[in-house]
Amino acid sequence: MMSTNPAEQKRPDVWIKTKDSDLYINPLPVRIWHWLNAMGFVVLILTGTFIRYSDRFDLMSFETAIKTHNWVAFAVIANYFVWLGFYLFSDRITVYHPELNFRKFFDKAFKQMMYYGYGIFRGHRSPHKVLPHDKFNPMQSITYQIIMLLVVPVQFITGLMMWDIKRFEVPIAMVGGLNVVVTAHVLIYIFFVAFTMVHAYMGALGATPATHFREMFTGYEEEH
Amino acid sequence: MMVRSTTGGSGAALPVLTVFIACCMVFSGGLFALQTKETPVTEPPVAEPSVTVTPAEEIVVTEKTAEPIAEEVKDPAALRLEETLKINTKCLRCHKRERTKLLEDGTEMPLQVHKDDYLASAHGEVRCTSCHRAIGKRKHPSKSTNITIASQREYSVDLNNSCRKCHMPKYKQYKGSVHSALVAQGSEEAPLCSSCHNPHAPVSMVDYQAETGLPCKNCHENIFNAYSESVHGQARINGNTIRDSHIQAPICSDCHHSHEVTALAIGDVLRTTCIACHENVTLLHNQWLPNTGTHLDIVSCAVCHAPFAKRKFDLHLYDNIAQVPLAMKEGEAPIQDQLQAIADEGIEGDPLEIWKARGGFGQEGQAVDISLRSRMEVMSGVAAHQIASKSFAVRTCESCHEPGWRQKQNVTVSITQPDGRIQSFEANRETLSSVKAIESISDFYALGGKPSKLLDILLLLALAAGIAIPVGHFTLGKMIKEYMARGEK
Repeated sequence: MMSTNPAEQKRPDVWIKTKDSDLYINPLPVRIWHWLNAMGFVVLILTGTFIRYSDRFDLMSFETAIKTHNWVAFAVIANYFVWLGFYLFSDRITVYHPELNFRKFFDKAFKQMMYYGYGIFRGHRSPHKVLPHDKFNPMQSITYQIIMLLVVPVQFITGLMMWDIKRFEVPIAMVGGLNVVVTAHVLIYIFFVAFTMVHAYMGALGATPATHFREMFTGYEEEH
Repeated sequence: MMVRSTTGGSGAALPVLTVFIACCMVFSGGLFALQTKETPVTEPPVAEPSVTVTPAEEIVVTEKTAEPIAEEVKDPAALRLEETLKINTKCLRCHKRERTKLLEDGTEMPLQVHKDDYLASAHGEVRCTSCHRAIGKRKHPSKSTNITIASQREYSVDLNNSCRKCHMPKYKQYKGSVHSALVAQGSEEAPLCSSCHNPHAPVSMVDYQAETGLPCKNCHENIFNAYSESVHGQARINGNTIRDSHIQAPICSDCHHSHEVTALAIGDVLRTTCIACHENVTLLHNQWLPNTGTHLDIVSCAVCHAPFAKRKFDLHLYDNIAQVPLAMKEGEAPIQDQLQAIADEGIEGDPLEIWKARGGFGQEGQAVDISLRSRMEVMSGVAAHQIASKSFAVRTCESCHEPGWRQKQNVTVSITQPDGRIQSFEANRETLSSVKAIESISDFYALGGKPSKLLDILLLLALAAGIAIPVGHFTLGKMIKEYMARGEK
């Protein structure tokens, strides 16, 4: 269990030099999960695109695309439990709910939107102060919760159903048939195509375009 | 002392003794002579030469001559056999000759029975009248009795039931076959027992078809030719093995059965039949084929293993409650006629859905849950028999999963007929992507088939958003900064 006091955070040795004042925001399990997940998503999107539009690309055989998609999908599912396990069994779960106050939440969310839409261009500081146990701004918090607790599990479940249609014959029938399952899977894939691009762009909105990417490798929120 | 007294004591005794001895000799000689004269009378009547050819007959004759007393306690079965042979001999006196009978339909029916073949066959001990029951002394078809025969087919159909008496198990199997169903429908070509088994010279059917394809080839010549060129047919010709360890390569009856002949294309009957020999098929496919179970369920073996065959999407009406392909019942109008009638009513919507809502083929009061199940099939029965060696089997996923591939395929809708055969009728290729048919074919999907243009448009929008949001945000930032910079100046 880690301390909630930033000052008490023991500084781990890392391969990129950071200042003593930086906060340890992204513990190792989160960083491992994040980058494996990112690579997995990119591969899944690429192979998924090839499976769906194999006549447009000549990158690999259909069989290779399917097998790669399946193996990587299982790795991503396993990786999901690294994320889930870490947040369930550590006090860091508060990054998603620092305090359960909806009025405060919507107020902060509005301020954050104003920041992204205007303040950021004026050189204002983000209204959200990043802390180890209050990492996400309200917009990040709500978006990531919807993604991780609803969208991603639905994608996993529909993918599993398509992986072995016969084995999951009954649940497939219960949710309305194979076409419903496939359509849900493709819709979420389409969402992630857009999300991945926007997420990467927003990752570049730090003090410098590389700041947040570096933070996600070192674990430390750089002082700026 | 006594002799002396006898011979010397009575002078008249000698002539008396001499006369007595002479009388005895005459009497015994007469008896002997009498017995010699009667011998031909006590001999059994010589059996007709034509019947003495069978070992059974020889045994009967031997018993008669050697031990006449045994005739009185003879086995009833032997007596019946003797009687049977006598009756059959009478029939064969005429029917051994090459002759024909003019029938009512103007054709001539051959009447000849090859005597030796018949007597040597399993039916050789069966009375002619056991099968030809209508034939009797006064009932034999002839000019004098004025009994006529309409046609050879009608005569054979009448006689078909005769086989039941001795061959009930096989007869029951036959009655459940597609052949029997066709006969019941009045087919002139569908095979009767006698179409495959010559009743006057029946032989074992084991190994009967391998080289000649008979009797199946009589009606299914194209299919037999396809089979004989296939890996199965070739294996049979080239030593009867198909793999090193092995199993006999199949002939027609191994897959289709010899009496309960069925259409293998129904449901998963074909797959079950193939797996009966290729028992490790699931394991082998599982090594490389994703979704093996589903592929084996919905892709007919021949689709990949007859690589040059034309393929089609077959949409089969399926009873979800009974979990079997939907079969029409006797007397019902064909489904296509029913659907056409609904379409002619001008009601909005998918005719199939309306037909289902009205109860489909279900009995009144019964729940009906019918859907269309899609299967990949080959176009014809001939193609289904063109099974090639494993090395030629299709193993490229793209052959089915390429976008646009679906639009090029033939589409049929099928239903099982009351006789067990499958009736297919062509459907529009657009059926598979028709909005009207979405509910009917909700389970139809092939990866890469790209059935929805709407999803393609959404993907393009997502890509556009993924580019436009960063570019727009970045541009907006620049514009604001420039505007503010100008303001500060």
